[in-house]
Amino acid sequence: MATTITKPDTLVGKRIKRKEDPRLITGTATYVDDIQMPGMHHACILRSPHAAARIRSINTHAAAGHPGVVAVFTGADVAGVGPVPCGASLPGLRVPHHSILAKDRVYFVGHPVAVVVARDRYIATDALDLIEVDYDVLPAVADPEKALAPGAPAVHPEWPDNIAFTYHQEGGEPDKAFAEAEVVVKQRITSQRLIPTAMETRGVVAEHRAGQLTIWSSTQIPHLMRTLVAMMLGVPENLLRVVTPEVGGGFGSKLNVYAEEALMGFVAMKIGKPVKWIESRRENYLCTIHGRGHVDYYEIAARKDGTVLGLKLKLIQDLGAYHQLLTPAIPTLSVLMMPGLYRFRNVSADIIGAFTNCVPTDAYRGAGRPEATHGVERMMDLLAVELKADPAEIRLKNFIGADEFPYATATGLSYDSGDYAKPLKKALDIVDYHHLRQEQARAKAAGRLMGVGLSTYGEICAFGPSPATPAGGWESATVKVEPTGKVTVMTGASPHGQGEETTFAQIAADELGVTMDDVTVIHGDTAVVQYGIGTFGSRGTAVGGPALYFAIQELKKKIVKFGAMLLDSDDVSFSGGLCVCNKSGKTVPLAAIAGASYRAMKLPAGEQPGMMATYFWEPPNFAFPFGAHIAVTEIDRDTGQVAIKRYVAVDDCGKIINPLLVDGQVHGGVVQGIGQALYEQAVYDDNGQLLTGELTDYAIPKASMVPWIESSHTETPSPVNPLGVKGVGEAGTIGCSPAVVNSVVDALSHLGVRHIDMPLTPERIWKLISAGGRA
Amino acid sequence: MISQSFEYSAPRTLAEALALLAGGDAKVLAGGMSLIPMMKLRLAAPGRLVDLSRVPGLTGIREQGGALHIGAMTTHYEVESSAVLRAKCPLLAETASAIGDVQVRNMGTIGGSAAHADPAADYPAALLAVEAKVTLARKGGERTLAFSDFLIDTFTTALEPGEILTGVIVPVEPAGAGVSYQKMLQPASGFAIVGVAARVHNGSVRIGVTGLSGKAFRAAAAEKIFAETRDVQKAAAAVPLGVEANSDIHASADYRRHVAAVYAARALNAALSRAS
Amino acid sequence: MKIGGAYTLAVPQQRAYSLLQDPDVLAQCMPGCDHLTRIADNEYEMKMKMAISAVQGLFTGTVRIADSHPPSSFRLIVEGSGKVGFMKGDGLLTLMPEAASTEVRYEGDVQVGGLIAGVGKRLIDVTARLLIKRFFEKLAEQIALQPAP
Repeated sequence: MATTITKPDTLVGKRIKRKEDPRLITGTATYVDDIQMPGMHHACILRSPHAAARIRSINTHAAAGHPGVVAVFTGADVAGVGPVPCGASLPGLRVPHHSILAKDRVYFVGHPVAVVVARDRYIATDALDLIEVDYDVLPAVADPEKALAPGAPAVHPEWPDNIAFTYHQEGGEPDKAFAEAEVVVKQRITSQRLIPTAMETRGVVAEHRAGQLTIWSSTQIPHLMRTLVAMMLGVPENLLRVVTPEVGGGFGSKLNVYAEEALMGFVAMKIGKPVKWIESRRENYLCTIHGRGHVDYYEIAARKDGTVLGLKLKLIQDLGAYHQLLTPAIPTLSVLMMPGLYRFRNVSADIIGAFTNCVPTDAYRGAGRPEATHGVERMMDLLAVELKADPAEIRLKNFIGADEFPYATATGLSYDSGDYAKPLKKALDIVDYHHLRQEQARAKAAGRLMGVGLSTYGEICAFGPSPATPAGGWESATVKVEPTGKVTVMTGASPHGQGEETTFAQIAADELGVTMDDVTVIHGDTAVVQYGIGTFGSRGTAVGGPALYFAIQELKKKIVKFGAMLLDSDDVSFSGGLCVCNKSGKTVPLAAIAGASYRAMKLPAGEQPGMMATYFWEPPNFAFPFGAHIAVTEIDRDTGQVAIKRYVAVDDCGKIINPLLVDGQVHGGVVQGIGQALYEQAVYDDNGQLLTGELTDYAIPKASMVPWIESSHTETPSPVNPLGVKGVGEAGTIGCSPAVVNSVVDALSHLGVRHIDMPLTPERIWKLISAGGRA
Repeated sequence: MISQSFEYSAPRTLAEALALLAGGDAKVLAGGMSLIPMMKLRLAAPGRLVDLSRVPGLTGIREQGGALHIGAMTTHYEVESSAVLRAKCPLLAETASAIGDVQVRNMGTIGGSAAHADPAADYPAALLAVEAKVTLARKGGERTLAFSDFLIDTFTTALEPGEILTGVIVPVEPAGAGVSYQKMLQPASGFAIVGVAARVHNGSVRIGVTGLSGKAFRAAAAEKIFAETRDVQKAAAAVPLGVEANSDIHASADYRRHVAAVYAARALNAALSRAS
Repeated sequence: MKIGGAYTLAVPQQRAYSLLQDPDVLAQCMPGCDHLTRIADNEYEMKMKMAISAVQGLFTGTVRIADSHPPSSFRLIVEGSGKVGFMKGDGLLTLMPEAASTEVRYEGDVQVGGLIAGVGKRLIDVTARLLIKRFFEKLAEQIALQPAP
């Protein structure tokens, strides 16, 4: 049985191409819309064209009689279905009843009013035009500050002040800090409403057969959705299966339970046939959650030497008309992270959650942290300008020291590990900061507008300890060695594009001494995978990874016991895919051990047959990645157009499993950050009509609009988990927007410009230049 | 995002296409870059589409009598990459290269763009600056019209019901002419916020402007100022004067006017630098 | 969306005013409008077939005249809705006498909603101006055709 042992190189840490890509880029992957079933029907949804209206009557007669239509349902038909759930809880939170189809009133443009089910999608779409709804149009309000003003139209008549909740948090002695401050700087800073724009829109297929309901949905959270939809529909959870096929991007917009998921389940049970609903892009823009929507009033207190003393924030969150799954919780994350990487001992924050006649906001890549980072990073720059200090120096002066971890923040968090000066110094070296400033001075002398913008961000991720999350913050993994020695991993994290089929295979292959091709990672089917939480908040690798690691450690104990039995030795170790008798040197490979465990001719004392372990891992803390981004910009003085000349990102996401995938996450994140900084904005008019209702008016950055991104890293392991990983899915987005905005403000500061709100459209900048800096 | 049902015809001759069009409630389908999205959104619901893609003789570029005849179904990419056009009417090739994105340029056609008369389309600025003509076929005949007469207003042209735009004719540029198309693009749609096409020859200039107002136009006053003063800045500043400028969420009327002057100066300077 | 502008009509102020109050004249000048049916004093039901480019929309709604100050000003309120969305225009028309002609100044607000607001934003401003222009051009034609009373 002796074979030559060659310990393979570890796969963790290597740039390895993604296992999932061949099927994704050759069109052989299955998305929800690829699912075809015998007898499948198609649903289309009639949506309100008004932002606020009473429904006097709905006449579905003509639509129901249209050839090929099998059913039309309205709010009255779904009265028995429970409301769309809000998972967040805050003291005194007002939660409007969110029926899956409007009952007697609509609250935003796009509000679902009726569903038509027909033989095909063409007929269903035609029949929508035949439904007559008599609306009594009411005044609407689409701006959160206007919604809070006296006399504003009430989004929900029962709460005429439009306030869903208020929330106060403070740490230290903020009032004292501000009283003692030598310098106080104030600024109103907005983070505009954004539309997540996943490449694949949402879609649901539902089938009710032999008492079992199966729902295929493009979601980030199959298990949570199953629990919540079972409750909404009143079906036994163990007779509801949720399958998440390939998901074409989510960015948080699919971290939700939507009306349509329960609605399709309802329809499938009613008509006794499978039914499919695929969201159009227009519906995606009107009805799938938006992100951001902050109006923030910041005050920073400091000493003249640049030492920061305190930070105050009044945060107005545009919630939209309803709470989706996490809507009211998102701004609380901004408050938690408002101190950033700095030694703010005294902070105070007040949130006002405002209802508006718009689609709800919720988690969008970064979810609360880009807003917080944008705020504190703009404020640090404003302070630097006020004190005529260098923005790099003022950051270095106020960073939490590398020797201060774990660091208890004034907002109640415990930062796990960090060395914040390291990525900043690395980024400054990469751009050759000193010479860059000289070049900027020469450009300025020549009349050119060149800017250098810094952003040093911290983020909270790896959500999270269960007590800090609405529905459990752990993650699960099952690892099986099949009788032939092949390895199957089942993760509850339900990745949807992040690449865990690759990174988890790397981890499993290293730990079990097999090749990556020997490992298959399965996810996204509640009938196959043990309960799990999902992928969001940069938690896939940071929480799902350790769950897998611990499952493998459990399994290894069993492997060693079976190995010892087969080698007839009590001194056995397992490495490189072999059990080795430490005395005789005899070995037995994993496949033989696995085969023997299923064959079960003989079992080690007290062991069960089979080779499988499951682990539910509860993280002891969040993880806190950090980094430094620098954007060099040049402004066209005549038109206000911004060109990003250079973009440097130095990110520290702890231990890196696969640098290629980390770069991919950083690139994608930075591009979405550039989108927010320069191009994107969901615009509602005063009547609540979404004016950016299609991709012809909502500008997401295209490849030609994005600079070369110079991505590099520092690696500060997290002590929170045995892999030392932190998470990187949102870092690029969080770090980016302040770097770009700081850079543009820097380019214009000698013209008197202090601050510009996003997006930095050419016209907005041109107006500032023309007005000599006054907005 | 599903259109209403419609009849689809792919005639093999122009006569057949004209006959189908005469049936009423029909729209000509060229590249479909504007019409198909409007149909999918149900803003447009023609009863019949008459697809010109199989009608012979509507594609390609040929030189004849000092002019270049461009078939209506010639794609933006074909115009952009045509060696003949690059040499003999470079303004049109340069403008075509600024349209939309690669996918749009592979599908969209010069005839479709001209007939659609979108106020923010790129081609009209160049077609005005090169003094293009269009040929319009009708049952039993054909007429040729200056593009400036063809373009009447926002989405409004001289095309009569039942007529099909079959081609665009542009003069061969004389040696020494300099041209440039300068465009500020709307980042979502790729349409022009403002686009300025300039063509300089022997000290006289022609300036076509798109995106600024309800229809593309020749900036006659600016052309005159340039002829009299040879002052680029003065001429450019006159481009937006007296124009009722468009205003939308992407750019206000004031900003569009400002950008029109800036881009007119850029286009003029670039054209001058290429002229001899 | 704010709109505003001015057109000159080749008739005296009193005549211009009465033309602009005449439902038959309004019906003939409003692009795509067949006729106006009186439903109350100064209020008419309208059906309008809009056709701009390939876009076609049938709008039903009302035309209302309010705040009349003959012969110098009145408000024209047009509301319509159809499958492609809905619109409401509320404009103040002021008639300024100029020798034998009249300058009609208009100033108002146009609101649009539904599909056309969400996907046609780029074109609403230019389209509104086009429709107003067509209205006044048609009115000028009518004036040229009609003999003075």
